Order: sequence, then structure tokens, then C-alpha cells
Amino acid sequence: MQPVPQPTADETRANASFAALLSALSRPGQIQTLPTSGEAGVIEALLDRECRVACADPRLLPQVMQTGALIAEIPQADHVFLGQMTTAAPLNDICIGSDLYPDAGATVVVNATFDNGVRLGLTGPGIDGETTVQIAGLPADFWQLRKQRIRYPMGFDLFLLDGARVMGLPRSTTLEVL
Amino acid sequence: MAYVATRGGARAIEQAERLFRTEMGAIDAARVAEIRAAMPYLIDRVMGEASLYDEDIAALALAQTGGDLYEAVLLLRAWRTTQPRLQVAEPVAQDGLFTHRRISAAFKDIPGGQLLGPTLDYSHRLLASEVLTGTPFAPKPVDAAPTPAPATQPSVAAWQAANDLVDLPEPDMTRPDDIPDVTREPVLFPSKRAHTLQSLARADTGGTLALGYAAMRGYGKAHPTVNELRLAEAEVMVKHPKGTEFSAGRVKVSQAEVVSKSGDKLSLGFAATLGWNEVKCISAATLDLNSKGAAKGSATEEEFFLYHTEGVESSGFCIHFKLPHYVTFQSSLDAMRDANAQKAAPQTPDQEPAE
Amino acid sequence: MSLSSLTKPWQPMSYGFLDASAKREIRRKMLKAVAVPGCQMPYASREVPMARGWGTGGLQVSLTLINPKTCVKVIDQGADDSVNAASIRRFLAQVSGAPTTLDTLKANLIQSRHRIPEEKLTAHQTLVLQVPNPEPLRSVQPNMSIARQMHGDADYGRMWLQLYEQIVRSGRVMQGASYPAMVNGRHVMTPSPIPRWDVPKLHMAQHLTILSAGREKRIYAVPPHTRVEPLVFDDVPYRVEDHGDLTCHRSGARGFFMNEIPLPDGSAAHEISDSEYGVKTIRTRDGEAVETGDTWYINGLIEDAT
Repeated sequence: MQPVPQPTADETRANASFAALLSALSRPGQIQTLPTSGEAGVIEALLDRECRVACADPRLLPQVMQTGALIAEIPQADHVFLGQMTTAAPLNDICIGSDLYPDAGATVVVNATFDNGVRLGLTGPGIDGETTVQIAGLPADFWQLRKQRIRYPMGFDLFLLDGARVMGLPRSTTLEVL
Repeated sequence: MAYVATRGGARAIEQAERLFRTEMGAIDAARVAEIRAAMPYLIDRVMGEASLYDEDIAALALAQTGGDLYEAVLLLRAWRTTQPRLQVAEPVAQDGLFTHRRISAAFKDIPGGQLLGPTLDYSHRLLASEVLTGTPFAPKPVDAAPTPAPATQPSVAAWQAANDLVDLPEPDMTRPDDIPDVTREPVLFPSKRAHTLQSLARADTGGTLALGYAAMRGYGKAHPTVNELRLAEAEVMVKHPKGTEFSAGRVKVSQAEVVSKSGDKLSLGFAATLGWNEVKCISAATLDLNSKGAAKGSATEEEFFLYHTEGVESSGFCIHFKLPHYVTFQSSLDAMRDANAQKAAPQTPDQEPAE
Repeated sequence: MSLSSLTKPWQPMSYGFLDASAKREIRRKMLKAVAVPGCQMPYASREVPMARGWGTGGLQVSLTLINPKTCVKVIDQGADDSVNAASIRRFLAQVSGAPTTLDTLKANLIQSRHRIPEEKLTAHQTLVLQVPNPEPLRSVQPNMSIARQMHGDADYGRMWLQLYEQIVRSGRVMQGASYPAMVNGRHVMTPSPIPRWDVPKLHMAQHLTILSAGREKRIYAVPPHTRVEPLVFDDVPYRVEDHGDLTCHRSGARGFFMNEIPLPDGSAAHEISDSEYGVKTIRTRDGEAVETGDTWYINGLIEDAT
């Protein structure tokens, strides 16, 4: 019988990154911790040659390209890395999937700062009643534009990154600026 | 009475597997080599359905499963799925195939000639029972033809297209790396052409025959004429990271073109697979020929035949009914008993459903 | 550049059997499934060393989530020692080195076929349900493309009609297991063939549930705190199996989902379907110190989570 295979360092990291992402998306508003700071963990856990990726931050390009993913414009991308946003306009172009295939709606990764800034009330699946979070570092009209673009079940799913901390906001989350 | 969750399950499955393997005994390299040498057509069938071309590994799978074809294909598919993909080979063109056999039922003679090649088609199916009583069955050696047949042959459809009898599909210029891969994404309908052809290539031979035969008997709209059936070897051309192209070897392939009259042109059905498997190619090409415009839910509709000829899925689901289902059964019994009790009891008005 | 720089050192088997790209595909689709609760997401289901229909969908999810610290429980029909549960548990342990348990409370990852344990699952647990047929509309529309369009249009009229016809013909909804449920008010899903007894356990639960059909290549999810409402008419309430009053002949416990065991004399005995919960009940009765969790059902009745 073959011995039990041991996880490589890559495997361990990707497994932990995904655990954080899955928890974050399953419990919107609850902050989870990635094993590494920034987008690297998301790229490693999710991307490969099956993906089309839009990348606003050129520093991420080498890692993204190494996964074999195809670099694409935002409307064609299934994964969109917007980095530090100065304008919310890119949200206008993000693919939201179709009625038939809501899964084509993109996964969007954005940098933000937690625990200060705008107060948001969240409700929806994964949230016990209502939860309040504070998020800074995003363009002023970000939340309004998100609301406009989501036509549930069509929409996109957000991961906000603050260093190694990650918050998930799936399209199913209803969000109110308090 | 103590209720101890014995680990009976774990012991039982271990012993059941041992019991199965006892009959076959030890497997060694010699047995695998013998299977490979003795059963090339079985190996081909298994390699095609597994979509994995390696005669030794296919023979090993047959040895390990005692010749249970569905088990052998599953074993190979499960192994295949973990293997790294290093390269996508260059496309193989029909007229570049090293052809062993190529026949057409559509014309008496065709450019390049009818080439019978290896076949049992015209043999009398008589058991060589003398083998069992000690007289070996030794095939007579082949007498070589005075002139060898050309190694490559044009396709019959190409001649028909030149004579404006058939419209060939537009050449698909997708880069090899970008061709949709049925092992890397789910088939969705209407299916991508690449997914259809790949699914047929790895379809279960028996299942493809059953549905193809239904189409041939009249459940399909189009009656197939075998434009050409070809058994060949294809060169697998790959690129070294330095840029040099080289052949990684040859694989046996088979393909069928079938046609039928459709308006003022012929329409074309096509299938190809790894290994030499004529029944599957003709059946699959017939399904392909019939799929255009087929009614939803009919045997010749793409969704219907692609789902139902997937051998690993269909055989797995079939045998899964052996698994305990007593929870679901209990749940149904509960509803049934309650409904019967209600029927037996006198009806009261509030038991009537609301309109 | 050389070939070896493009690939990784050869291993006889990847950690957790699945290769990295198979895991990434499952991860991407799991995220989408969580983002749209109850909506079936197509995924590239890989062949695994088990036959299709034997939990290959659940297995792929478990293999993706697992790491050497994950404590795994596997059940089939509620039982840990059912042959296929034993086979899956052995495989998971063999390819991951993860510890296994029979105790629901100790497990982080529970892969199950046809049951949800009787003890309440909590936020640190993930339930993976094996799904033979992910399409709740299959009985009214076997064609997958048309059914998908119906989900897209939230067109569940035929589903309701089918339930209505059953009530007219039989005086009740005849659906046994796999009772269709509306998730998050938008998508009708089949909860996999769990008994009706177990469907309310998904409603506003603490834990994440991933449902995965390997053969049919669909994955869907019920996140925590998500509405899962069985399809019922206002005046014909949802009814779980009439097991609340049955007594387990081994443990003496009442108020849980039971297996019916036919006896030679024509009668039948009952035993708790959740085998490990049955064991705990017996050990507690015999005076052993056993930690038993809160149960969803108390005295055969489930509390209303809404």
C-alpha cells in the first residue's frame, strides 16, 4: 500500500487560503485570516489555466501569468483583481453571469481597510439577522454601484482584503450604508 | 442488549475484495504482457473509453479488474485524471493519417482505393475448437501485395466537397491549447462541438451502439451511408520547450464519416476515437448525423445520447442501486402508509385539499 | 527552459488524491455555490477511484477541504459502519492522513449520504452531502437544458402542480425523501435524498452545507443562516416522517428518525438511524460519561428556527 501522501507547502497554503475564503463568503461580514498577506493566497488557491483574469495592479501580473490563466479585459474576466480602487467605474464592466448560468458572475478582489470608515448593515444568507461592519479605502460610490449591478441571482462576489484579513460579500448579501 | 457500533463494515469490505481477487490470483508483468499481446482490440476499446492511450496500463487495468470492462475503464480514468498535462499535441488531419484500412460504402471505388486492411468482416465465424483439444490455431502469414498501398489517403468527404455534394465544416482555427476539454469542464447544452466529439470518443461502446442502432432502425431521421471508415495510426506531434517539434510516437485511431441526403446536399456525421473500434465509430457518427434538429428527449438528441453513453457515469449509477437505500425507502413507506390510512379513514371535509 | 521547469517533481499521488487543478476547479465552484444558495453550479467533476453514484461528488469536496488536521466523519444512511461509509472513510484517511471520528461533536467535516446527524451541527463544522440527482425538477422535466431555463425563470409552477396533484390523488404529498425546498426565497433545490425529517435541519442552521453530485457534475450549497423552506401549501403543512413516537429497541430512546427492522413474526422493531447517537444513548444509560450534543429534535419535535 502506498504511504499517506504529505501535503507540500503550496498545498498547505492553498488549502488554508481557501478555508479562509470559503468561511468569509459563507459568513459575510465576518473577517477571516489568510495565511499570507494580499492577493497571493487568492491567486494560488483559485487560479489556473481555466481562468480569465483581469488585473488592475501590474505587480500581480507575474504571479497570475504563472498560473497559466489568460489575461483578459474586465468584461471577459471570471476573476477580477482591482487592487486599491480610486474610482468605482470598473464595477460597471464586471461580468454578472446570466439567468441560466449565474456562476459566470465574476469573483472580484479589492483592497480595503477594515474597522473604520463607512458603516454598513448586512443582511442575507450567512448572516444571523443583521451584522454591521466598517470599511474604508473604497471609492465613495462603490456600494451604490454594487447595488445597481447586482440582479440576483446574477451578480459578482467580492473579497475585500486588508493585509492578510479577508471579508467576503457574496451577491446574496443585501447591504445598507448606515 | 449492548449496541456497539462494530466496525463490521470495514472488515466486510476488506474481505469481499479479497474474495474477488482470489479467483484471479497474483498479477505479474507476464500476465499483463500476455493480455496486451493477445487482446489488442479489447485494449483499444478500453483505451478509447478511458481516453488514455497506453497499452500496458490498459492491459494492467484489465488484469486488475479481471476483465470487467466498466471497472477497467473507471480505473484508467481515475488514474488519468491525476496525471499532469504537459502538452497539447498538434491537430491530426485525416489525410495525414498512416492508414491501415479505409473503406467506403458510398462508392464502388474511391481516390486512393478501397483498402480492406485487417478485418474479420469476411471471415466465417467458426470456433477453432481444435485448440481446446491440443491443436494450436496458427494464422497463415499474409502474402504481401505486389505494390504497397499508399500510406496516406484523402478523405472521401473532401472529394464530395470538391464536387459540391457536401459542405464541409468550417476549419476550426482554435489554438490547440484553447480547445475546450471535456475532462476539464462540464458539458453544457447546446454542447460545444469539441465536447460532443470528445464525449463520443470516450463513450461506452455498447451504449453508443444501442442508441446508434435505434437511430439506424428508424428512430433517427437520417439513414447513414458509410462514406468512409478508417483505421489508422496518427503521429503525436508535440513541441519541446525550446521550440522544436517532434513526434512523441504514434497512436492507433479509428474514425467514421457517415452521410445522408439532406435537401440538395449531403449532411455529414463524424466520430473518431483512440484505438481501433469500428462499431463505436459508425454508431457515434450516426448519432452525430442525426443530432441536428432532433426532438428534445429523443435518442438522437445530443443531450440524451451524450449523457446516456457516458460509460463510467451510467455504469456507476447503475451499480449504486446496490447501496443501502433504507432511509429513503423508510421515508417513502411513511408517506404511503399515511396515505393508505387516510383512505381507510372516513373523509372529513377539512382533509380535502384547498382549491 | 526545460520540461522539468514546467512541471513539478513526480509523486505517486497528490495529497488528498486530487491534483491541484481539480481542487481549484472545486474551490471556484464552491464559492459560486455559496454565493447563490441552492443554485446548481456546473463543475468539471473528476473521476476518482470510486464508481460514479457512490459519493464521488461529496468525495471531491471532502478531498478539496481536507488537511491533516481535519477531523472527518463519514456516514451512510446515518451509520458510520455502513460498508460504503467505511470505504470512503478509509480512502479519505489513506490519502490525507486526517484523523477520523464517529462522534458528530468531534468532526469538522462530515460527509454523509442520505442523513443529517441528530445532534446539532455548529459553526465550526461543514456538512458535505452526497447527491445522486441534483435536479429537483427532474420528475417534471428530465431534460437538463429545459430545467435550467426553468430555474433561470424561477418557473416552479409544474413543481407546485405535481405536489397539488399528489394531494388530490392521495390526500397528502407523497414525496418521501429528497423533498424539494426553496432556498433563500429564490432557488428550489433537492436537499439530496435525506428524509423529510432532516430538511428542517438545513433551515437557518449554524453550519455550512455543501451538496455535490459527481456524476451529474453539479455543486450547490446552503450557507449558515439561510432560509430553506420545503414547498408546501399554506393550508397543508409540511410533515416529517411519523417517527416522533417510535422507540429504539436497543437504546430505549424516542423521538428520532428510526430504521424499521422487519421481524420474523411479522412485526417490526425500530432502531435509531443515527448509529453513533444510538451508541451514545446506550452508553449514557449504562452510566458512562459520554458527551452528547443538543439535538435538533426534542421529544420528537423540532424547534422552529425562524
